Parts: sequence; structure tokens; C-alpha cells
Amino acid sequence: MTLQIELAGIQKYYGGYHALRGIDIAIPKGQFVALVGPSGCGKSTLLRTIAGLETITSGAIRIKGEDITRQPPRLRDIAMVFQSYALYPHMTVEKNLTYSLRLKGVPKAEARRKAEEIAEITGLGQLLDRYPRELSGGQRQRVAMGRAIIRNPKAFLFDEPLSNLDAALRVHMRAEVRKLHNSLGATSVYVTHDQIEAMTMADHVVVMRAGVIEQQGAPLDLYDRPVNRFVAGFIGSPAMNFIDGIVTEAGDRVRLTLPGDPIVSFAGHRPAGEAVTVGLRPEHLNVVSETQTGNTLRLPVSLVEQTGSMTYVVTETEPMLTIAANMSRAILTAKSIDVQIDPGHVYLFDRTSEAALQSL
Amino acid sequence: MLSSTPWKRWLLLAIAVVLVAIYLFPLYWMYVTALKTNTETFANPPTLWPHHAELKVTRVWNDMGMGSFIQNSLVIACGTVTLVVLFGTGCAYGLARVRSVWMDVALFLVLMLQVLPASLMVTPIFVAFSQLGLLSWPRTGTILATAANKLPLYIVLVRAAFTQVPRELEEAALVDGNSRIGAFLSISVPLARNGILVSAILIFLQALGEYVYSRSLITDRAYQPATVGLQFFVGPNASDWTGIMTFAAIYVTPILIIFVLLQRRIVSGLTSGALK
Repeated sequence: MTLQIELAGIQKYYGGYHALRGIDIAIPKGQFVALVGPSGCGKSTLLRTIAGLETITSGAIRIKGEDITRQPPRLRDIAMVFQSYALYPHMTVEKNLTYSLRLKGVPKAEARRKAEEIAEITGLGQLLDRYPRELSGGQRQRVAMGRAIIRNPKAFLFDEPLSNLDAALRVHMRAEVRKLHNSLGATSVYVTHDQIEAMTMADHVVVMRAGVIEQQGAPLDLYDRPVNRFVAGFIGSPAMNFIDGIVTEAGDRVRLTLPGDPIVSFAGHRPAGEAVTVGLRPEHLNVVSETQTGNTLRLPVSLVEQTGSMTYVVTETEPMLTIAANMSRAILTAKSIDVQIDPGHVYLFDRTSEAALQSL
Repeated sequence: MLSSTPWKRWLLLAIAVVLVAIYLFPLYWMYVTALKTNTETFANPPTLWPHHAELKVTRVWNDMGMGSFIQNSLVIACGTVTLVVLFGTGCAYGLARVRSVWMDVALFLVLMLQVLPASLMVTPIFVAFSQLGLLSWPRTGTILATAANKLPLYIVLVRAAFTQVPRELEEAALVDGNSRIGAFLSISVPLARNGILVSAILIFLQALGEYVYSRSLITDRAYQPATVGLQFFVGPNASDWTGIMTFAAIYVTPILIIFVLLQRRIVSGLTSGALK
């Protein structure tokens, strides 16, 4: 497997501010990688260092094995789609699409033919002679994508390209970008703050916080086996519930700091008396009838949110918990709710280091 | 804010009209005096409208050798604009793009330069030019001095235009395979062209009206611009006021026409930095 993009030990300082701290990512050809994290985590900075728009303090960037760390953007053969699209306002769609070709000295007729071809792929057929200001948001987005595709570059970089679209179009474009990636056999790095975008589109998700990679791996690996509380809370929607707890004498149960000090069992063993944070995903809290016993909790209801397919119940506890339930009319009026927990779906985190705890 | 009551609006309009009239009166007086005969100029009370209008354009043009004056004015103005645009555009771009303490210091110094009046600078410049031997090329010297004097204004105006061009556009051009200078020339300059054009025209008009440097540095009448030529009319005894005004009218009218034609663009160009 050849590596298309390789980031090794990247450090970036802005004066005294340490923006990127030892980033290592290896991206094989054809992979779709999502960089995800809260704003200010360094994901956009990292993308810009790959493009060559930011220099790095130390470390190496290799593309197809060639070290391009000190090369200017124009020599890297990488295409980038910007959040604001960055279409050249004084050029028509065709001129926007063929800008890179004209710089390379491609003959006019051939550039025009390629532009038409790209317009066909991206659905911009009739718009080649329009100016960007005459296009809708979705069309501008397509021009920005087309401008990247036309070059047939070694890699595509996306900087939150869908964040300016309305919700319905965003979902549609999500699938379209991924389809395009597959049909081109491209290598893509995609920055987003939306974990659903990252989960649905990417083969490989990199979760960042404060300039550090917290965890990287396949989307479901991150969902099933988060390495710390941050990743657990960031991946998954609605977010995981966190409750403080103490491991009981037996070592396979934990006492939760909820009203009535309920005890739930988890898979595996931990030292007795250990202070932990218990993570429970809303979708792993199964609503059951009152009569059922074994690893159940009774929780007072404060709010019920309906989305149609799912109903989210928010409990009146401290901390407040979210429960994802299947649609049921009974829940709407319920004062309290009984949930059952599968011991295999109980996550434990160290309360101070926040690292995920392996069962002993 | 427009007032809601109609009489208030009329009052404001009336005040505006009066103010404009006061402001434009010298211009009106210039044209009217240019059309009067010499005796009518000194009539008391003065006449607001010439009784026997006569056009003296060709006489003044030929008698004063205005062709050479106007030509010199244009040479100096064009030379100044060329220098200012050549040096100022890059400087303004740098000041708009690079953000650091030193750039702030540089911008502050540029603004300080704008405060210094030409009459203050002319003596040191004269001494320096005379030592460099630049006084043998008086028009070149004047162009250099005027350009240096007008550069700060141009830089400040064009910098505002460049700050309006999103940085991402240049970055897109860089990633698309252009060099820094290529991105500057093919993306930033075309997008800031309104601001550049308007500022260049302003500098051109100001350079046409420049007097202090031309008066001090150019001694040979053959190289003097129209602003300096105008004062040959004013002798110790007699003054040909109607001739002076005709001269002034010939000189000012093309400038006025340019200004009126481009007025809308100039105003929008000047405020483009202030409003989004």
C-alpha cells in the first residue's frame, strides 16, 4: 500500500502559541480522511499546512514519498476547496474552472473542452458563461468542487465546504462529494466540525483537540472504542451521557451519583473504590416496562423531544441524561421512565486523566 | 436621517442649496469674469452676469503660450501618477496583507508623511536636488518630489481597497498553481482596480494643481506648468483679471469634466473602505 500523504511529527508555533503538537497521519491512496474537532483545535491549520499555505515549525510532509515540506503551494499539485469557495469574482465560471489549466499553459480549446466535461459531471452545464455572483450557494459550491477536480491533483483538501449550505442541500452534497471521491479514485482530506459529516463520509476519522490528535481510526472504531472521554463525547449524536461513579466492592459494578444511588454492572473488573466517570450512550439506554429487573434505572422525565423516528427523553436528574427511545405515545405523558443497560455498553473513564479504562 | 415632517425637509434642502451656492461661487465668478470685458471687471457695483460677453480663449492661449504650460502640467501629472501607482500599489498591498507590529509602525510613518506640507519639505528637497544635480532636469525633479508627497495618500486609499479583497482568493490562486506575484497581479489587482483607478485619478488631479514644487524647482519658463504660468499675469501695476480667469477656466474645465463624469465612481471608491 503506497502512502499518498504522510504527515510526520508536525509541530507548528504561532509565536508562543503551540498550534499543532506532533501530528502523525498516514493516508493511503484513495482514502477519504476527515479531520474533526471543536473550533480552534488546529484542524484547519493542519489542512493549510498540507496545502502549503502555512509553514510548519518542524516535522515533514510527504506526498507520494516526496518530501514537500518546504515547497510552495504551486509545486505541490494539491487542490483545495475553501469554506467560502473563494471563486474569483471577476472571472466567469469557465475561467474559474480553467484557471489552473491556463497557468499550466494548456491550449484554449482543450481547456474549454475540459471545462465542459467538468460542468457535465458537476451539473453546471448551462452556467459556464455566468459570473459567480449570478449563482446560487449550491452552484457556487459545485464550481469550487469543479475547479479542484479539473486539475486531476494528487490530493483534494476540503475546508468545511458544506457549512454554508442549508441543511437539506448539505445532506445531499455529503453523498455527492463521497460519490465523486469514489469515482475519481481520489485521496481526500476533509475538515469539518460536524462529527456526523465525518462519520458518514470518511474511511478514516482523525479527532483533534487543542493541536493534538486525540484518536484516529475507522468511524465505528471511534464510536465503539473511544480512548478518552473527549472522543466519547464528541463522536455520536446525541452526545454520550457522563455520570460520576464509584466502583463497588465486587469490582464489576459501579454506584452512580444519581438520586437513590443506583448500581449498574459493567463488563469486566476494576479495583474496588475507584472513582470513575461512567459513559452511557443515549441509544444504549433501552426503555423497558416497570416490571423488568436487572441493571435497570428509574429516572424522572423533564422533557421529551420528538423527531418523528426517534424520541429523545431528557431526565430531571443531576447530571441530566438523554435517552434515545423509539417512538411511543406512552412516553409523552410519562412522569418517569425505566431504562435497562447492557453491561457491555457501559464505558468507564478515569476521573482525572479522562482516559478510557480497560477492564482488568 | 431624513426628517419626517415636510417643512423640515424643505428647510434642510434650502440650507444645503445655500451652502452649495457659497461653495461654488468662486467657480461661478471665475467663469463669469472670464467672459467679461476688462472695464466691466472693475465696474462698481459688480455685475453678476456679463453685459457684453466675449470669449478670449484663443487670444489668451496664444499670448500666454499656454500650449507649453499645459503640456508641462500633463507631463508632470502623468509622471507623478506613474511613479505613485508603480511604487504605491505594491506598498499598499504589503501593508494590507502582512500583519505585524512593524507594519503598523510603517503605516503610522506613512500617515505621518501625509501630515507634512509641501512648503515645509521644499527647502530640504531643493538643497538635496541641487547637490545631486537634479535641478538640471527640473521636471523630473518636480515629478519625484510631487510623487513622494502624494504617495502616502495613495497608499492609504489603495490599502483600504486591498483589505477588501478576501485573502482566500489569493490562497486559492496559490493552490491552483500561481506564484505570489502572479496571484497579486491576476487576482488582487483586478479586484482592487476600482480603488486603484479612483486613487490614481485623485493623484492626477492633485498633481495637476501642484504649485509649490514646480514654482521652486523649475526656473526655466519652457518647463513650467500652468499653475506657475498663471502668476505671470499678476504684475506689480496692472492685472489682466479677465485674462487670468480665462487661463484658469481653460485649465480647470477639463478637470471638472473628468471629475463630474467619474464622480459616482470616485465617491464609491473613497467610501468602499468604510462601508462593506
